[in-house]
Amino acid sequence: MIIEKHLTIVNKLGLHARAATLLAKLANQFEASITLHQEGKEAFANSVLALMMLESSQGKKVLVRCDGSDAEDALLAVENLIVNKFNEKE
Amino acid sequence: MIISDIISLDRTECAVNCQSKKRIFEVISEIAVKGNPQLDLTHVLTAMLSREKMGSTGIGNGIAIPHGRIEGIEDIVAIIVTSEEPVQFDAIDDKPVDIFFALLVPSEQTQEHLQTLSSIARKLSDKEIVKAIREAASKDQIIAALA
Repeated sequence: MIIEKHLTIVNKLGLHARAATLLAKLANQFEASITLHQEGKEAFANSVLALMMLESSQGKKVLVRCDGSDAEDALLAVENLIVNKFNEKE
Repeated sequence: MIISDIISLDRTECAVNCQSKKRIFEVISEIAVKGNPQLDLTHVLTAMLSREKMGSTGIGNGIAIPHGRIEGIEDIVAIIVTSEEPVQFDAIDDKPVDIFFALLVPSEQTQEHLQTLSSIARKLSDKEIVKAIREAASKDQIIAALA
């Protein structure tokens, strides 16, 4: 199953190293392949380096695509992490 | 941002003999301060260690990007160290680390910081570059690999 959703990066620091690492760790927990798409660039969510190359700053819109048997759970988990500002204060 | 703006031969060290995660942070801090006497050794070390406590900067494939926010610096400064033997670093893939691409970041920077991370990530996701850094026999070869 493939599902996708547009999400906005809301934390002040954007997808910096720690945020990217948290997302990659989360992505590794799912069987589904998770990709982020932003302005023509694409990154596998389980790669910290690929995520950092997106340069996703606060306010950027990213399309999260999950492909696999647990795609729904994966998307929900990724959405929670992004909406909760990667557990950052601002 | 081009990577040559933030790296320097003075702040690069090849194949250091280092057995522990703590020691590698000390080595990185010593190199940073040697190249910039305005920096305070304890301050630099504390900034990087407190960031590390929030989660390992070991990003996988034997690479780590230790970093810390430093008050009073104008520009991002990179310190590049390779270790003779890989060091246990609690990395995301549990592999020990032998390439350390450390960054001291001005305290208020956000956008530029993301651009810098992106430039570094582009270099470090290139398998040939990483291989050349890992196999470098001198710090000149490390700088050449990243140029």
